[in-house]
Parts: sequence; structure tokens; C-alpha cells
Amino acid sequence: MAWRSKLSQSLRELRIHMCQTSVASKATREFVVKNYKDLKTLNPRLPILIRECSGIQPRLWARYDYGVERSIPLDGLSEPEINAKLEELVETAPQSKTPMHA
Amino acid sequence: MAPRCRRYPLPLPRSSTGSGSRRFSFSPVDSSSAAESGVAGSTSRALHSGVAWYAGIRGKFYEGKQSSDFYKWGSGLSLGGVRHARVASMAAVGAKFEAKPEDCIEVSVDGKDVTIAKGMTVLQACEVAGVDIPRFCYHPRLSIAGNCRMCLVEVEKTPKPVASCAMPALPGMKIKTTTPLVKKAREGVMEFLLINHPLDCPICDQGGECDLQDQSMVYGSDRGRFIEAKRSVVDKNLGPLVKTVMTRCIQCTRCVRFASEIAGVQDLGVLGRGGAEEIGTYVERLMVSELSGNVIDICPVGALTAKPSAFTARSWELKSTESIDVSDAIGANIRIDSRGPEVMRILPRLNEEVNEEWISDKARFAYDGLKRQRLNEPLIRSADGQLEPVSWARALKTVAEAALKVNPDQMAAIAGKLSDAEAMMALKDLMNRLGCERLWVEGNGEDTVADLRSNYLVNSTIAGLENTDACLLVGTELRIEAPLLNHRLRKAVRNLRAKVGVVGPETELHFKAEHLGNNAEVLASIAEGKHPFAQTLSKAKFPSIVVGSGVLQRSDKEAVLAAVQTISQNANVIRDDWNGYNFVLLNAAQAAGLDLGFVPGSRATVGDKSSIKFLYLLGADDLTPEDIPVDAFVVYQGHHGDRSAYRADVILPGVAYSEKEGTFENTEGRTQQTSPAVPTVGDARDDWKIIRALSELAGVKLPYDTLNGVRARMLAVAPNLFRVDELEPATPLPKESLPEVKAKLESSPFKRAIENFYMTDPISRASKTMAQSTAAFSRS
Repeated sequence: MAWRSKLSQSLRELRIHMCQTSVASKATREFVVKNYKDLKTLNPRLPILIRECSGIQPRLWARYDYGVERSIPLDGLSEPEINAKLEELVETAPQSKTPMHA
Repeated sequence: MAPRCRRYPLPLPRSSTGSGSRRFSFSPVDSSSAAESGVAGSTSRALHSGVAWYAGIRGKFYEGKQSSDFYKWGSGLSLGGVRHARVASMAAVGAKFEAKPEDCIEVSVDGKDVTIAKGMTVLQACEVAGVDIPRFCYHPRLSIAGNCRMCLVEVEKTPKPVASCAMPALPGMKIKTTTPLVKKAREGVMEFLLINHPLDCPICDQGGECDLQDQSMVYGSDRGRFIEAKRSVVDKNLGPLVKTVMTRCIQCTRCVRFASEIAGVQDLGVLGRGGAEEIGTYVERLMVSELSGNVIDICPVGALTAKPSAFTARSWELKSTESIDVSDAIGANIRIDSRGPEVMRILPRLNEEVNEEWISDKARFAYDGLKRQRLNEPLIRSADGQLEPVSWARALKTVAEAALKVNPDQMAAIAGKLSDAEAMMALKDLMNRLGCERLWVEGNGEDTVADLRSNYLVNSTIAGLENTDACLLVGTELRIEAPLLNHRLRKAVRNLRAKVGVVGPETELHFKAEHLGNNAEVLASIAEGKHPFAQTLSKAKFPSIVVGSGVLQRSDKEAVLAAVQTISQNANVIRDDWNGYNFVLLNAAQAAGLDLGFVPGSRATVGDKSSIKFLYLLGADDLTPEDIPVDAFVVYQGHHGDRSAYRADVILPGVAYSEKEGTFENTEGRTQQTSPAVPTVGDARDDWKIIRALSELAGVKLPYDTLNGVRARMLAVAPNLFRVDELEPATPLPKESLPEVKAKLESSPFKRAIENFYMTDPISRASKTMAQSTAAFSRS
């Protein structure tokens, strides 16, 4: 999974929203428990913000350069599918738009 | 006129009802008695267990229902959310919550039968029955003194009236509160109290909210028979915060008991007997406590009043606004009393889960800082170095132009200690859109990892820390950093004989604590299990660790936190039913800042500040002018002309917490909102609006233009910040899921995070009262 080390190259920030207890967030919780260490070790300077809030839809948020954000809902997905979605967010990172700075 | 105790306004305000009061509520119809009896928790240990367990019986009745329903039922107020985790932890914490119906007794109050728990007093039984008993010396959070005699009631088959606050209720007791005997007794007691009480209500600051005044109207006689000279007592000097008029004192001893039981200072006492009895410190000395202002609230008469607001306002001309304190990270619930555009005083509100009914002196008295040093118009530094007033349009245009000239890598933004979540959200979005990733919140350090909420919150919850039986303090002076959390730990020491060990600067905590040393070696030896305190922790049922956020300023913070993690694993501090790992934050903005990810993004420059060319300070004042490069363009957005404003190239006036509706998250992760009590000053604007306007001029328009819009955006970043007045618990990750730490501990001692409790933020630094307190109480 070579794309994983590219995470901090294409992303500025990764956010994972999930509920502490709900069934819909179960796979997401498992994904975090199993993969957080690997992702953080490969990308020590990338904020991987895991935000828990009761009753919310599990969701993956990626923030790219210049504040561009994308999100993917994760309910109903299995753990490998979440992994694939994350890869998708990395691989399809938008081209850095030219800065408006002089 | 019914007597009303001003500490428990009825009906209870919406957000001031913690689950604690719901837990102990008795009557589903009468929320007033629920509120009164709800606070009966911690009087004496016997009473406490009695009440707590009675709540357990109630819980039993409702155990078939959902736990949140049980909460709703108590006060008839909707909580709106789910608190499964909290409920689970409470259930785990106490066998004392289990129901034992055989420990119930039945008494009758004025002919009405009520079921109460064994160990409750006659006065509490009356409260359960919804009968109000006048009282002065009885206070539900203090031990029972029984010396004012105002609570006399008649009990069948007893020869004399009994002091209900001190008399345990017995099975089958027939209590009568409306008989001629009771009426006569109350009238007599009141007459005696008034013999030596001056008739100076018209010039007394307590006038209008005085228990003695109110109760004499209801229970007193319509004339006095006393014509001799009244006694007079010399006033005591208790420092710049508490004003004394000791002639008004009725010797209820609430202040004495508060000082020794809650504040933990043994300075106040009763001197003399009979007519010569007075409250004092024996030799003249000040009462040095961060909680000293609370004696003003518990004093039922005008003997102890607030010195800074003496003779400035009458209670009936004030407008009260329910709000949140921002002077520390506890998020105490407060009431801002204002008159016109001026904040006249700040009082605590009841919230069992956060501040009970206490607030710190800084929260109470720093408000006069809101009137000084205020920034009220946009300013630009002209060529000759002077700040000149300009229009908003020009100020914002100048900032936008300066920002666009600079490479994003050379930009940085710092959020100050008092920033609200909305402003931080807007600033983060703006800077991110400009390409800048270098952001941090004051107190959090410049490169803190904000990934896991459980790593930076008080996971046991503030109220939950009362249940710990062994606690290790790491790098924190808890009494100074969070006085109300220190009070909770003090309760654990008093009630459960909790053992407390301190690794860090040596401080008086006002309870028994063992100072283990102030260096990382001690921490390492506890982590290795060599230190005796490691055994103390692992033997404890509810072990806890409290880490001060001062460690974030250390260069070896990762190693320190890793050592703490090891200690917590060895002692089993984090379990399914109990999480005793607590990280105490210092400032109101910190928790929300971390939740929003107001931290450097990936590939951000960290450390070297000399490359900064554009610096945006959102009320941030901790950087010294030497830290800021000479050629940097500095924008200061804030409400006070504090330290960093002197270095600013452009000043954008924002608003203080008393003037805005802002979201704050406290150190346990509870989201709360302030409400505007007074109008904004001059041309100042809401902080998030300034940033929103700036974004448009900088060509990176933010996609929201209402307060709800910002909050909807917060929902997409940290959804828990959208759940106001609720606590979203954080689940810790197992050890196997955490990356390994390779950093090594350094031998340097832990530094003090706060040098002077009374002056920590722009508001308290501008406050005259806080300056006087510094002079009177400061340790140096």
C-alpha cells in the first residue's frame, strides 16, 4: 500500500468522523483501531483528526492544498472498502491550483 | 411573598441543571424541591450516601427505560442527547447507586406522607414534601452547624421545637411546620437575630437579595421590642475582594465552614462567646484562596459583600445574562449582571457537572478589565510608527494586500486564549485557503498532535474526578491552573481518602499530597514500577493521572506523554468503565482549537519563527516582540490593547466574551455557549465576521455569512462543537493502535505554567481588581 506514505504529500489534513457506539460507525471504528498506527507512522506530520460525536454519520474528510475539501460517507462500508475510499481520496487529489500570490 | 434563596433561582435555568441534580431529584411534579434537595449531596458523608442511594431507588424505578429518559424525568427538562458513556461510568463508579428499598423510611410532613432515605434530616424530608423551611446556617454543600435555629419545626411527641437541619428523620415521624408553635418559634428566633442586626438595609449591598431581609418579611414580627443599644463589631480585612461589615453578621458560620471544608484554608474561625461572638482570623491576615469570592454568595446577610462592586448597583436594576466563564478551561457557568452597557458583577450559576455553585476569583472579579484598554476602532501603523484610526474598509484592504504579497509558507496565525470556536473556524479556513498551514492556539504549543480527543481532555470528567482514590499529578499546579478541578480532587481526598502524588513544581494544593519530586527521573521510575507510588496507583480502584498542559511547552513532551501512557497502562487507569487519564488545559480556547484542528497541517514549517513575514494574531499575546521578526507584517485582532497590540501593523477591534455569542469547549470536552450581556464597544465587530469580511477582500471568500453558517461548517470539522451543553466522551485507542515514541526524557524540571493566577489573559491583565489581588495574594 504505497499510496499510504503519499498521504501527507497530497493531503493537508485527514478527518474521520464517527459515532462512539452506533452500528453504522462500527467498521469505521475498526478501521481506525487497525490502521491509525500505520497511517501515523508513515505520515507523522499529517493531522489525522478522529472526531467522535454521538449519532453522526461516519465520514471521511480530506483537506487538500488551499482549503479544498472532499468527503465520503462511510456508513454501510466494510473496513477494506473504507481503506479503498481513503486511497481514492489520495489518488484523486485535486491539482494544486496556482496560488493567487504574486 | 414566598422566600426565595438566591442561590437556587426557581425554576432552574435551562443549562444550569447538571445531571447531578437530576440524579438526586425526588418529586417529578415539583422541580423546586428537586433543585433544593438535589444539591444535598455532599453535606456530611452519612447524608451523602443516604441521598445518593435514594437516587438509586429512583433509578431502579426507571431502569427499564432508556437511561436518557431517566435523566429527563428528574427536572422535566429535555437533555436532547445521549449520554450512554457517562451513565455507564456512573453505574460503574458506585455500588452506592444500587437500590435497597428496605433502607427507605416514611415520615409525614403536615399530614402528607413522604418516602425518604434513611439518614436524611427533617429539613430534607420537608423539602421532599415540598415544604419550604427558613434557614440561615444550613447549606447543602457544607457540614451542619445547627446554630441559627431558624429552621425550627414541631415534631409530634417531642416537648420542644427541633432544629430540622440537624435532626435526623426517623420512621413514622410526624413533622408539622404550620402550627402556632412553629410560627411563634420562628418569630422569636427572628427577633433575636434582629436584636443585633443593624437596620441599614437601605445602604447595604445585600439589600434586595438578602436572606435575612426576605425571611424577616415572611416569618418575622411586624414590630421590634428591642430598644437598647445594638452591639457593633470591628470589620475584618479580608483583602481586596471581600468587603466585610461584621456588625451585620448573624454568626451562621457558613463562611467558616466554606473556608475549611471547600476552600481548604483554615484561616477563618469563631472568636468569643455570646454577645461577643464574632467571625475573624484571630490575628489579622488575609484569606488566600482562589475560591474566596464564594463566601460572598453563601453569606446569607450583608456581612460579606463584593468589595469591587460595593455601592455600585442594586440587585433589582441589573439585567442577568446566563453565560460561560472564559478565564480558565473549566468553563464555569456564570451569570453576568449588567446595567446598560456596563458589566456590574459576575455570579456563578448552578451546574453540578462543571462548577457546582462555585467560581474562581478570577472569573468573578476580572470583569472590570472589560472596561479598560479596549480597542474600539480599526488602527493602522503609519509611516512614523504611530497607530492611526482608519475605516474598516481600509484596514481590511491593507491586511488583504499584505497577506497576498507573502508566500504562504511564510505566514502564521495564532489564536489567543479567549478565542471562541467560531472565530478559530473562520481563521483556520481563511488561512488554509490562502495556503497557510502554520496555525496554533496559545497554550497548545506550536506542533501539538490533535488526533485523538482522549489525549487532551479530562476523560474522567470534572465531576468524575471526585471518585478517584489515587491520583498522580504530572507537571501541574492544579490549584492555580484549575481551582475548581482542584476542589474536586480535594473532595476525593476528603471523602475517599484518595492518595495524591505530585511530580512537578511544589505547590500548596490545600489538601494532603505527597510531593514526589520535580524531574523526569521520578516520572521514569514510576513508569518502570520502581517508585512506591506506582504500587499505590495500581492498587487503587479508580486510579487517575492529571497531566498539566504546561508539559506541551517542553521539548521532550512526547517522551513525557509516553511515560504517562506507560504509567496509565501499568496502573490500569483506562478501562471500559473508567478512564482516569486526564489532561488539564489552561485556557478557554484550547480544547475547541484542538478539536477544530487548529494545528499545523502537513508540510507546515514549525519551530523557526524568523521566516514569518505575515503574522495573524487572534487575541494572542504570549509572543514577545523579540519572537516576532522585525520585517513581519503583524495583524492583531482582539478586544484589548494588550502586549502584542504594541507590535501590530494593523489592529482590528473584536469583541469580548461578554459581548458575543461564542462557542467554547471546556477541558472535559463539554461544548457551551456564551451569550451577549452588554453591547459591543465602539466600532468593534464579531471576530468571525471580521475574518469573513477579510476573506472576501483577499479573494478567498468563505462560504458562510451567518453565525449558523459558521456553526454548520464547524459541524463538518468537529461535530461535537455543535452539541451545545453536552459532553461527547472520547474513546481512547488501545496501545497497539498508537505509534511508537522514540523520544527520550530530559532531566529538566517541570516549569510553572502560570506564574500569577490573577493575571493570565488580556481581560485580567487590564483589571484593576486583579492587579490589587496580585499585590495582596501573589506568592512572590
